[in-house]
Formats: sequence, structure tokens, C-alpha cells
Amino acid sequence: MVIDRRKATLFGAAAALRIFLFVVFPSLSRLLAGRVEVSTPVTSFKRQRISNLDQAPLLLPLFSLIPATAFSAITSILYILLDLFCAEALAQIAESGESRETRLYKSPRHELRWDGTAVGAAYLFNPLTIAACIGRPTSLFTNCAVLYAVAKACERRPLLAILSLGLASYLALYPALLLPPLILLSYDAKYKGSSQPPSLIPFAAIHTSAFFGSIACFLSESFFLTGGSWEFISSTYGVHLLLPDLTPNVGLWWYFFIEMFDSFREFFLGVFWLHLGGYVGGLCIRLRGQPLFVITTLLGLCAIFKPYPSISDTALYLALLPCYRHIFPLMRYTFFTMATLLYASLLGPAFYYLWIYAGSGNANFFYAITLVWSLGLSVIVSDSLFAVLRDEWEVERPEMKGKDVRQI
Amino acid sequence: MDGELNQSGCALVLTLARYFKRWSLWSKDIIILITSDSKAGPQAWVDAYHNEHAVPAVEPLPTKSGALQGVVVVDNALNHRFESLHIVYDGINGQLPNLDLFNTATAIASGQMGISVVLQRMWKHRDSYQERLQTMLRGMVSQGLGHASGPHSSFIPYHVDAITLQAVGDGWQDEMAMGRCVESTFRSLNNLLEKFHQSFFFYLLMQANRFVSIGTYLPSAMLVAVNFSIMAIALWIRSGRSTAPKLGSTNGKNEKKAEVEIIEQDGMLAVAPKQSLVIVERELFLPIALVIAFHFLGVIPLYLFNNARRDAFSWTFTIFTQANVLLPSLLAALLSYQSPLTAQQRLLLQCFSLLLLGMFLATLATLNFSLAFLIGLLAAPLSFAGQPFSTTSAEDSRSGWSARKSLMTVLLQVLSPPAVVLAACKASGVNVEDVLVEAAFGWKAHGLWTQVVVWCIWWPAWIVGGVICSPLL
Repeated sequence: MVIDRRKATLFGAAAALRIFLFVVFPSLSRLLAGRVEVSTPVTSFKRQRISNLDQAPLLLPLFSLIPATAFSAITSILYILLDLFCAEALAQIAESGESRETRLYKSPRHELRWDGTAVGAAYLFNPLTIAACIGRPTSLFTNCAVLYAVAKACERRPLLAILSLGLASYLALYPALLLPPLILLSYDAKYKGSSQPPSLIPFAAIHTSAFFGSIACFLSESFFLTGGSWEFISSTYGVHLLLPDLTPNVGLWWYFFIEMFDSFREFFLGVFWLHLGGYVGGLCIRLRGQPLFVITTLLGLCAIFKPYPSISDTALYLALLPCYRHIFPLMRYTFFTMATLLYASLLGPAFYYLWIYAGSGNANFFYAITLVWSLGLSVIVSDSLFAVLRDEWEVERPEMKGKDVRQI
Repeated sequence: MDGELNQSGCALVLTLARYFKRWSLWSKDIIILITSDSKAGPQAWVDAYHNEHAVPAVEPLPTKSGALQGVVVVDNALNHRFESLHIVYDGINGQLPNLDLFNTATAIASGQMGISVVLQRMWKHRDSYQERLQTMLRGMVSQGLGHASGPHSSFIPYHVDAITLQAVGDGWQDEMAMGRCVESTFRSLNNLLEKFHQSFFFYLLMQANRFVSIGTYLPSAMLVAVNFSIMAIALWIRSGRSTAPKLGSTNGKNEKKAEVEIIEQDGMLAVAPKQSLVIVERELFLPIALVIAFHFLGVIPLYLFNNARRDAFSWTFTIFTQANVLLPSLLAALLSYQSPLTAQQRLLLQCFSLLLLGMFLATLATLNFSLAFLIGLLAAPLSFAGQPFSTTSAEDSRSGWSARKSLMTVLLQVLSPPAVVLAACKASGVNVEDVLVEAAFGWKAHGLWTQVVVWCIWWPAWIVGGVICSPLL
């Protein structure tokens, strides 16, 4: 196996930075694990140690096998390795070229690209990723599984991709929404260049049943692990669906549901989940030719609208975005969104401090800043969608290249 | 306080303890705290009370009660009768107690007892405009520095409202009067069902009965911070434009004609060179890396001035100030030798630096208004460094001396952080070494953040401004 020198340097530098932060600032890890932006009730590192209430049972043997004396050190190394694994999967996604040229579509700007090492660097040195690694939430396992699934789909190994997505959906509920675009992506990647590909329906049927089969496997393993009871389902998935824990986070849900009357709760839970799931069908149909972009956009939308988001979900979305370097010139609001995200990430902890510690602010300040954060992310998602649609449109109308257009 | 033995205050407090014990109407526990020094003592006690003490070195408190509701510090170092009560209310990092506690003490002292109340060391206050302004500005300086202005300051970060009552002046009020004030305040605190939260937490006092609310004064700090953001946006947009080509000239030589394009908008026609309509690709890596590197460079003076030995402070600071004068030119020379910046990269460097500065100052204004305001004003010339107002980036590529650049360099040198510290010390007659010792003590004991803001936010922005202005770039 040839190890690329640039990649080795990058991985070494990223690992060194994270080891430096873990060793020289040991209190930083505890500080970040306690911050609401990094760890949510379903991903918290501290809760993992105390009791495994809201997290997937399969993580329990993983963490209980680690001896208590070296727990901190070994989990730090484990999380660093997870980060490097994610970067490797990202590099594979970028190198496969699926973002620029798929079976059904070739971008007119496909020469403009960042290679795998650059995309990996953008992920590894993103401050959000570093903070998520130091804070050690368990959502990093989900991120790993999702990226591995996408990487395997781009590399023409659909069954592995589906298995990995099954693991991701088992750990957190929302990756199940990525099943349709992932099937389309693996189908497109596998039969790229062939003039008479086999029909999509049996392919989709086989892989969907493989998906549900893998989930059934994981669930039955958990059944045995928790001593033969199905209670873990209500605690693990019920938390996502029914939102019993209303700890503040960077999402939109907690504030709504704190002030909601109980009789309307189920209705609004249904509405919020329907909102999240409603994007899948539309995006898959409209962007049939670019399923990788559908996955990217869905990850971005999940980072905004899922019940317990954190910055690791944002880091996952911002990780896949550099694969679309070729549409960056078409995006209109990059400076504004980057400034908004920076402002929100500074003002958020300040207003949280004013609310919880100084007592001179209240929840509205903090929620307003999380709304600004979500606004920034929404503008990135919609701007990149605009850029990709414009890119597709310029294949039909090449004379409009370089001109200002408005979407009506 | 002020290093003097609190003889009458201790005596009064012990007497009050015996007096309070006789009454059965107290609904809360009263804790009497007497410490050997006024800065570290209360901080150590309140840290231990909230389990924030350094675990192996400090033992936990043996007796604790519930959450602290309010703290009144009694300071009477005089051995004669006093004239007025000086109320000190500033906390660490500019955080203030709830105005209700201050109003309670003022209403009791000046309303019921007839003792005049002074604040911010304004011993004679005739309620004129100048004196109100001076009180407010002194309050802003005290809040901006964020240091412990009295023993009560250590309690405020724990969300415990605290004030210090200090007997000042030469009059005819005696310890009985002070004791009655303290007892009335305690009776008022006794009646509380919940922590103070109904009144203002953010205010600027002009006089014992007048204050400015945050809605009135916050826009000023926000405007100062937004100034940097607006400049950053302007620089960003300018960095996307290329140099404007010449459309036509009276020169007889046959120059290559620039391509023009006709634009129509709102029924009017204009002719513009095509080149100025296209947005140029921006090279972002080097400016971003430089800005981040400069901000991390601020850790060096922060560490230096927090951990130096006491006797080494003055000469360390002198050497640092002198090195600081040369630092921007040195960095500019290094940059132009290693990787010279294009005109666009110069614009982007200033853009990102101002963007970060504006962001940090806007965030800081919500936490410590005075510090953000003062630093914003002192750093305001940074948005005029370089050439932010020329219409094309062609003029930026002109390096070398010019009157404007030299004026800017001098102004920036005068307004550099170490120079400002020196000037402030000279103006107020305080020793520089004392200021630095106070800052280092504040960092270690109280968790003071002022030096972080100065060295890690203001100084790097100043460096970038100096580098941009430097003729060596």
C-alpha cells in the first residue's frame, strides 16, 4: 500500500495537534465535554461513563472494555484515530471524483478541484472538528460510519456502504434519511460508464432489505447485550422521537418544546420530524444526477433541523462541502455566512455564560444566537444548492457563463 | 481596603454579630467573614464555599450554608467619626451587582439615616453635569480595568450581589450610624424571597440616584465594534476587484484598448471596462494563516506578564515596549522577503484582522461594556491603516514613503498597547510595575480577563495595522 507523503504529513500534523491539546490542556477536554454546543444528552461523553441511558447499547462494551485508570488517555487516542479515519474516508470520496462527474452528469467546471489531501486538511483543521474531537461526543462514531458509507458507495462497494449506513442509523436515528440517495449513489457509481445498466428497482430492493437486515442484526445484538430486554429501544430511539430531555443545545427544538402544552406535543413532534424527512424525496428527484450532493445537503439540513444537533454535525457537513470546490465561485454569500457563523460561535458561549452563570441574561439571548447560527448554516445550504442548480443549468445554456442570474 | 487596617469595621462587625444573635427574626443564615487581607482572602473563601478551590493545596470549608444571597462588606479604617459612606460596587471583569442592592443601601443611608453617599471616589458631588460625567467615566475606567475594587468584587462572578460600604471623610457620624445602616440593609436582605433579579445588572452610575441603562449606552460600543466589521466588508469587496485599466488616454502611442461593456439599468446606459465587472478569485490562505498566527503570538506577552518575577516587571516591560516599536517593521520586512504579499492579499489581511477585531469587541461589549468601548476607541485608527479608501487596488501596490503612511505609522505607534499603558500610568501617577503586578495577581487569583483582551485581541490587530502601514511591506 503506497502511503502518500503529503497525506502522511497531514495526518501526522493533525494527530500531533490533537495530542498536544489533550496533553497540555487536560482541563480543556472536560470543559468542552461540558459545553452544550459540543455534547448533547444523546452524545455526551460524561453520560457514557455514568450510565448508558440514552445512547446505543453497542457502544457500552466498547467503553467498558477500556480500563478505568487509562480511560482518558485511551479514549483520546481512540477519538484521534476516528478523526483520521473520517479524513481518510473524505479523501477517498474526493479522489473518486463523484462530486464532479457522475454517471448522469458532468459539471462544466470539473477541472476546478481540491485533491483528497486538501479536503482532508479542511476537515482535520476545522476548529469545529478539533473542538468535537477534544470534547469526545459519541456522535463522532456516527460521523465515521456515515463518511465510510459514502466512501464505499463511491468506490463501488454498495453492500459495505449499506452496512455502514445501517450502523450509523443504529447509533443515531437521522442517517436513515440518507438511504435513498446512498442507494442512488452506489447504483450510479457501480454502473458508471456502462451503457445498459440493470434496472434500478431490484438493486434498490436488495439494498433496502440489506439495510433493514443490518439494523435488525444490530438491534438483536443489543437485545442480547442488555440482558434480553427491548427496553433500550425506548430509551435510545424514544429520546430522538419523543424529546424527553430539553437540555439547551444549538438546535431549534428545545425552546419550542419547553413552552409547548402537552396536548400539542405529539402533533408538533410529528411536524418537526416530517419537516426533516420531507427534503429527502424532493432532493433525490430533482438532483437525480448528483446523489452525492443530495447526501451533502441532507447532512446540512440534518445539522440544522435534527432534535439534538451539535457542532460535530456541522463539522460533518462542512467536511463534505469542499468536495464541491468547483461550484464555490457560483456561491453568492460566502463572506456573509462565514462571518455569521464566526459571530454566532463567539456570541453563543458569551450569552450562555450570561444566562447560566452571571444570571443577567435569559434563555432568549442564547436561543437568538442559536437561531443566527442556524440561519448561517441554512444560507450555506441554500446557496450551495443554488450554485449546483446553476451549474446544471449552464450545461444547457453555456452562453450564460459569467453572467448574473436570478432564480425565479 | 486600600491596605489599611479595618479596625473599626472589625469591631463593628463583631458587635453586630452579638446583636443579631439576640433577634429571632432572621430567615437566612448570616455568615461573618474576617480575612487578613482584602483581595485574596475573600476570593479564597468564596472559591472554597463553592468547591472551586485548588483541591490538594486548600482544604474544603468545614461549615457551609445554602446559596449566598447577598454580601455587604463593612470597611471603616478611620479612628474618628466619618462624614459619608463610599459605596464600591464594581466586580471582577466589569460585572456589577444588581442595582437593587445599591439602591437599598443608598435609600437607607441617605434616606433614612441622613448620611450622604459617594461613589467612585467623588468625595464632593454637587450634582452638576461635569461631576456626573466624571463619575460615569471613572466608573467606566474601573469597569474596563476589571480589577477587584474591593473585597466584594470576588463574590460577584458567583452571581452573589455584593457591595462595600466604606466610611470616608471627617464628620459627625459614628460607628452607631454605620451599624444601623448595616442592620437595615441586612433586614432588607432578610425579607428577600429570591435572588435579586428584578432590577438592572448593566448600568453606569452617575450619582447615587442617577444611572444610565444599557439600552442607552450599548449602541455606542456596538457602533465602535461595527465600524471594524463594516471596514472588513468594504475591504472584502474591494479585494475582489481587479485593477482598472485605462480606457483612453491623450498619449499618442497606440495602447491596447481595454474591452468595454454597455450596462443598462433603470433606463440609463453606462460604459464600463469589462475587467472591472468581473470578480477576481481571492487567494485566502496566506492572509488567514497570518491573522491566526498573529493572534496566537499574543500568548507570548500574556504568559510573560502573568508569570514574570515581581522585580523583573519594570525592565521586562521597558524592553518589550522598545521591541514593540520595531516589531511591525521587522515582521513586514520578513514577510516581503519570504513571501511578498500581493495587493489583494494585503487587503485581505487587513479585512480578516478587522473582522476578528470587530467580532471580539462586539461579543465583549455584552460582557464588559467599558473595556470594549475603550479598546474600540483606542483601536479605531486601525480601520484607516493602509489605503482603505482608494478606489482601485492599483494604488495599493505603491510601496515606499508617503506623507499619509508616515502619519499613520506615528499615530499607530502612539496608540500601541504598551504605549497606552505607559501613558495612562504617567497620567494617573501610578507605577507601571504596580499595574502589572495587579494584573498578574488578578489573573492568578480572580480570573481577570483584561490582559487576555489586550494581548490576544488588541495587540495582534495593532500588529497587523502596523505591518500594513509599514513601507517595508
